[in-house]
Amino acid sequence: MRYDAVLNVNGTDFPVEIEPHRSLLSVVRTELGMPGSKEGCDDSECGACMMLLDGRPVNSCSYLALQADGRKIVTVEGLADGGELHPLQRQFLAQGGVQCGFCTPGMLISAKALLDQNPAPSEDEIRIALSGNLCRCTGYQGIVRAVQAAAAEIA
Amino acid sequence: MSATYTAAATLPEALAALASGARPVAGGTDLVVGARQGKAPLPDSLVAIHGLAELRGIAETGGGGLRIGALVSHADLVAHPAVRERYTALADASAIVGSHATRHVGTLGGNVMNASPAMETGGPLICFGAEAVLVSESGERRVAVADLLTGPGRTAARPDELLVAIELPAAAGGSCYARLEYRRQMEIAVVGATCAVTLEGARIGSARVAITALTPRIVRVPDAESALAGGDGGAGAVQAAGDAAAAAAQPISDVRASADYRRAMAAVIARRAVTAAIARARGSSDSVPIPASPALHGADRD
Amino acid sequence: MAVVEDTREQFIRQDGKDKVTGLGRYTADLARTGMLQARFRYSDHAHARVLRIDTSAAKALPGVFAVLTQDDVPDVRYGGFVEDRTLFAKDVVRFEGEVVAAVAALTQEIADRAVELIEVEYEPLPAIADPEQALAPGAPLIHEGWAGYGGNEDVVREGNDCSHSSIRKGDVDAALASADEVVKERYVADMSHAVPIEPRAIVAEWQGDKVTVWTSTQVPFIARSGVATTLQMPEADVRVVVPHLGGGFGGKCEFHFEAHVAALARAARRPVRLVFTRREEFVAPDHRREGQVLELETGVMKDGTIVARRARLVLDNGAYAADAPFFPQLAAMMAVGPYRVPHVSVDAHLAYTNTTPSGSVRAPTAPQSCWGLELHMDAVAERIGLDPVEFRRRNIVHPGDETATKQVLETIAAAESLERAVEMIGYGRELPPDEAIGVACGWWPTFALPSGAHVKLHGDGSGTIVTGAQECGTGSVMALPLLAAEVLGMRPQQFTVVYQDTDAGPWDAGASGSQTTTNNGRAVVEAAIDVRNQLLELAEEVLEAARADLELVDGRVRVKGSPSTGVDITELAEKAAGDKLLLGRGSGSPPASPDCDISGCTGRLGSESFLAPTFMTHAVRCKVDRATGVVRVLEVAAAHDSGRVLNPVGANGQVEGGVAMGIGMALSEGSQLSDDGRQLNPYLLDYKLQTAADVPEIRVEWVGEPDPTAGPNGAKAVAEPPCVPTPGAVGNAIAKVAGRVRCLPMTPMRVWEAMQR
Repeated sequence: MRYDAVLNVNGTDFPVEIEPHRSLLSVVRTELGMPGSKEGCDDSECGACMMLLDGRPVNSCSYLALQADGRKIVTVEGLADGGELHPLQRQFLAQGGVQCGFCTPGMLISAKALLDQNPAPSEDEIRIALSGNLCRCTGYQGIVRAVQAAAAEIA
Repeated sequence: MSATYTAAATLPEALAALASGARPVAGGTDLVVGARQGKAPLPDSLVAIHGLAELRGIAETGGGGLRIGALVSHADLVAHPAVRERYTALADASAIVGSHATRHVGTLGGNVMNASPAMETGGPLICFGAEAVLVSESGERRVAVADLLTGPGRTAARPDELLVAIELPAAAGGSCYARLEYRRQMEIAVVGATCAVTLEGARIGSARVAITALTPRIVRVPDAESALAGGDGGAGAVQAAGDAAAAAAQPISDVRASADYRRAMAAVIARRAVTAAIARARGSSDSVPIPASPALHGADRD
Repeated sequence: MAVVEDTREQFIRQDGKDKVTGLGRYTADLARTGMLQARFRYSDHAHARVLRIDTSAAKALPGVFAVLTQDDVPDVRYGGFVEDRTLFAKDVVRFEGEVVAAVAALTQEIADRAVELIEVEYEPLPAIADPEQALAPGAPLIHEGWAGYGGNEDVVREGNDCSHSSIRKGDVDAALASADEVVKERYVADMSHAVPIEPRAIVAEWQGDKVTVWTSTQVPFIARSGVATTLQMPEADVRVVVPHLGGGFGGKCEFHFEAHVAALARAARRPVRLVFTRREEFVAPDHRREGQVLELETGVMKDGTIVARRARLVLDNGAYAADAPFFPQLAAMMAVGPYRVPHVSVDAHLAYTNTTPSGSVRAPTAPQSCWGLELHMDAVAERIGLDPVEFRRRNIVHPGDETATKQVLETIAAAESLERAVEMIGYGRELPPDEAIGVACGWWPTFALPSGAHVKLHGDGSGTIVTGAQECGTGSVMALPLLAAEVLGMRPQQFTVVYQDTDAGPWDAGASGSQTTTNNGRAVVEAAIDVRNQLLELAEEVLEAARADLELVDGRVRVKGSPSTGVDITELAEKAAGDKLLLGRGSGSPPASPDCDISGCTGRLGSESFLAPTFMTHAVRCKVDRATGVVRVLEVAAAHDSGRVLNPVGANGQVEGGVAMGIGMALSEGSQLSDDGRQLNPYLLDYKLQTAADVPEIRVEWVGEPDPTAGPNGAKAVAEPPCVPTPGAVGNAIAKVAGRVRCLPMTPMRVWEAMQR
């Protein structure tokens, strides 16, 4: 059976009709046509699917889409302000935080969740906060540098 | 797909759905991941309880305890001053569940009702003598968390009952939950131990010790408790408590560790939990949560 | 001093904006009208005879458009070295992830149900998980028909020994007999995995007799050949396109499942998409890192001079050869290491087992072999009472030294990398309790391969590089504009790159063997020189000056010594746009392998000498929790000789990522197997990658000089070498606190067990 819901993603309301078992990730990627958030594992271990739900990070692969009905969702597609990149996006590029780019959407969301909550994190706080997002390319060093640089820029 | 779904707006709505066979879902952390891994398919009928205001919040009870709503997240538990100060072991446990996303989405109620022998919050709740508040259309009852958890993935709750809150009695002294951690984050307990102690002057008054992931359900270790109670809390007592924890373990061998290693670590981790609990009872301002391998973490950065 | 380019303007990779905005597309993001979803039915046994397959119930399920088995595709055996493989299981299944049948259906759920409805009847056969057991006399054959398989004639194979290679130099027996001390040890490395964060995905769509396959491969041209070979069609009818690739690390090398999906799409008469789960990513592809058993024996004099090395290596091939038959030769070279060893006898075998096939993963064989050898080096140093760094200092290769295959090394900085790394970490300083510094050295070749590129300049003066090269995230393709710009006196930002489309770019070996900068760089430089010559010809007329007097600088062609006399390249480009177009082509001959002498050696498969070898030393500081065996790596210093470093941000990123992968291999990454060869931890909770919280600060420095035998202006391999010495360095640090841990990964339990002995 399908149910009506309205998902507010990056400030836009999307009316959808979906089955209960569907994950937030699969609905946003397919029905909503925003495949920026990635699927890298089956068990909430990689973080590539991370979105903000009412401002808090969630592994959207393991969250039921219907439970997001009426709530505010932010994906990687919603980070830039029009043509202007978010400082995190700019610094990920400038500091070598991006290689293959597959972890990047979740990593950026995770970093945004951190900076929204803690605008001046220590290096260790950054590393702990990003530990739910696996990256295989960078060794995390460029990513940590990027979060530090973005934090300095936003402050 | 004939699955049905209701998002309950009120507690009675949720209870009615449970009475007609629905299963509750809050953060979905265990339920949805379990279905994706093929452990158990998603139930055909789901009632979402994430919107129930009655299940939120942490409140002081008249008797000096705390009432923690079932929907309180691990992140909220770690951040709550009363939890950190008086139920420190619960803060320790909540701080190391999964990743920060898991801690924001995952709820105390979900962690308890999933009844994994490796669940982080179980040991602390049992040591604090926590009670689960279960509500159904036929009324409310309270069950000690120690009795609620009956086996791996099994609880004493009836299918029509909803866990609405956990109530903690007043606590004094110090406590700690420690875990063997291969990585600093993103771990599941392979060996965990909780200790809560009170002081009588310089001596240990009462002591509670529980072991996690070492038995089919999380249990207290009476021999460890008696090794500590009334004593000086010195090295000998700590050693004896650790040995008792190892003796009480019924470890298995699997991809995460051998039985021999688990048993040896039961003693090590129990000693660390006991040592930290006693130090905290005596006023130590050790970091909360306690790093599982204190010698290794934190010292080299910032 | 290393030559590290100062790229002046900050160079932001062209694919960067796509990747940080989420607007870039990876294969699993693609959709085509009418597209179906695929799922495979895998073997239910690690080893069994297939008696009967009944697909009728699956075919009857509404929404199912195609169900295929080996009977539905051409009867072709394939394989680059050994033709031991068919698309679907034929008669026998040899590992748990072998594809028995494939389904295409309207939805993923229907496809999932359909594969379960396929009935397969098996006769189970004894399965072998242990490579040494597979080589034991009387072991059952994993490929009964091995002798009849075609393939590369240079592969020396016999029964379960899929490839044997040996190195013989001097007289090992006599040298060992005359040595002051002989140390003999055994090390065992478990199988591990590449684990790109993107699980593989493939979309196939037919137009008439032509098929387009969008796929997450590192090697589009090899995937194209695979489709053409197995479906028996011309390569020109197969177009392979790679959208953004979400990492590979070797796991996405070789031809895998492109033909299965193409065949499904043809049968279903609709586009079909296959997306792997993480579990499939562990179990099904033939590209995990091979396990190794290393028996190492070294003869040494009291002064620390190594006189002989004898070694026997057994590599776990898994059920099919894939690209692994060249591993024994590489592993044999790694077992000698970057040291002077006058007498050598090494045998390396690649044993078939009933496990997921192995294949190239980032520096195949090297991290495991180097780990065993470097722990052994410390054990030898300990025996003669010499500091391990001093012991290496006395044996490491210098320019003019000879390798085990009598290659004379030329432009190398192995010794400098050792000295720099120990200096960076402060080797020898006082450390807190339970901390120690471990050091390991490694080496790795640069691979010479054919490659091609076109460079076009447009009427407005902007340029396009059309290349066959593949970008797997390292940035090597993204850096190609630096090379073209350098030749043409332009800015890298003036070029775009067309890549990852076999219908557009010339042939290239793909993102494998750290070969892109070396080989495609050479092609791009040559194509740019072609365009430069065309520009100079035009400028000769305009400036009325001889070509020899002209130079290309800052977007202008100008007269040497008279910088104000010149013409803008844009002006020349505009002129050419109305006349003879500016089109450059480049390929260039791959550099020849250095001379060597391998008389008496067997299994010559291309690694007998190392072109432009890279050298690296890692020094790591670790702390061991003595009660639990948990190890934390606190600091890493990495000193690398990769010749000329073209793009420092990119190159440092390769080392940082490689070290993190190396720490994972050292401490937490390993597959556990059941007795019958099934992986017991094919998921990320129990196959543990290092997280941001686990990886320490990694400091990188470059040593060495441009190597004239290597790529553009002396650039050697960069991407693979960084993971080579890390596990050995970590192991040597652990050994100082807890004793030597002889199994990889060195998990807390294994470290603890070592302390109990």
